[in-house]
Amino acid sequence: MQVTVDVAYKSLNKFTEELCGDKVELLKTADSDIMILADGMGSGVKANILATLTSKILGNMFLNGATLEECVETIVQTLPVCQVRQVAYATFSILQVFHNGDAYLVEFDNPGCIFVRDGRLMEIPSNIRELEGKKINEYRFRVQRGDCFLLMSDGTIHAGVGMILNFGWDWKEIAEYAVKQYRLTVSASRMAAMMVKACDDLYLGRPGDDTTVACMRIIDRKVVNLLTGPPKKAEDDGQMVASFMEGEAKRIVCGGTSANIVSRVLGRKLKPTLDYVDPEIPPIAYIDGLELVTEGVLTLNRAVNLMKRYANDENINEKFFLELDKKNGGSMVAKMLIEDCTDLNLFVGKAINVAHQNPDLPFDLGIRQHLVEQLKVTAEKMGKTVTITYY
Amino acid sequence: MTVTICIGSSCHLKGSREIIQKLQELVCQNHLEEKVDLNGSFCTGNCVKGVCVTVDGELFSLKPEDTETFFEEKVLGRLG
Repeated sequence: MQVTVDVAYKSLNKFTEELCGDKVELLKTADSDIMILADGMGSGVKANILATLTSKILGNMFLNGATLEECVETIVQTLPVCQVRQVAYATFSILQVFHNGDAYLVEFDNPGCIFVRDGRLMEIPSNIRELEGKKINEYRFRVQRGDCFLLMSDGTIHAGVGMILNFGWDWKEIAEYAVKQYRLTVSASRMAAMMVKACDDLYLGRPGDDTTVACMRIIDRKVVNLLTGPPKKAEDDGQMVASFMEGEAKRIVCGGTSANIVSRVLGRKLKPTLDYVDPEIPPIAYIDGLELVTEGVLTLNRAVNLMKRYANDENINEKFFLELDKKNGGSMVAKMLIEDCTDLNLFVGKAINVAHQNPDLPFDLGIRQHLVEQLKVTAEKMGKTVTITYY
Repeated sequence: MTVTICIGSSCHLKGSREIIQKLQELVCQNHLEEKVDLNGSFCTGNCVKGVCVTVDGELFSLKPEDTETFFEEKVLGRLG
């Protein structure tokens, strides 16, 4: 089995702190994906430095094939010693999933990894080894498609302590909530956002500790083919549509003229709707066998803006996901590309639309290629594999 | 009678949404739901002018403010 993963994380800073004392590193080696979460002792700058050092050292050493013993030894010798407590300390969790399905989990003093399979919570056996005086749990296993893993800092299990809960949210309850969210969410990012949102609610919006959830889901490759723009030469119509229809993929067409071309070449009817879900975005349409048909540049512009927000992690909370769930073309394209896509193939026509070269229009419609370039860069930033073919 | 309004990018920016809303209202007010079929279409390739509206295949070019006159002349007028 060739394993593909979807990874994302979300942090809350302790109330009034500008820096987070938790740090997540997401890495790819030639044959594996690695997710590391470190939680530095204390909060603010000191915790941030401890967590950053720990996660970076672990990441770099793992990348270069060092053993766990070497990593832990290096961390112990490198971390600056806290003047108050006289110890150098950051807790950490590491999850490494190899493309062949082997997995390796290492945990040191963080709340235990939540592991959901087939909608049920899985137990992680205890297998403790002592390294440099630290008790470290190791677990080697095989992953399956659909598996979901959550690494957390202890801000999660302390959520609500002394405020609306006596002893905080205990691990079992968090795990139950995670199992519920596992059924309700598709992507790692939405899962992480929902878990952190629940913690923030328990903290009444004023987190008493840095709180982080990192999520990894084992998924299938999900290919999306997106066609936009008519080819420069009309005789290439057939070739462009044939390539667009090749292979197993979800298919999106963005553009009125493009949709007419696809409809004509395939001999399938194009059915536009008149539903203005959003006044700024023209209604969507349907062609049998295609996932989505929308207008072109206005819709793409909206979709690219949403994707940029996501890729740059600007306020990615449940409000963002509500926006993503809206049924306007822009949100629908963005949602599919963010949550339901690992490989994106773009089929882009370079014809210039005469009607769009009109200075009376309040919006520059001649920007398709520019938008497509931004789409590519943004999707790549999210870790997706992108190809572009121009016609 | 079939009335088709273009909802492509160019017509959208020239106000096809207002025209559609207005036409939907007018059809409703005149109780013509049975007789007039309102449709959308993607770009019909005539976008150099106003918003493209076709009535039983005949092409018209509209601005949102002309919608009522258009409805009276081309829709009510033709239905007789």
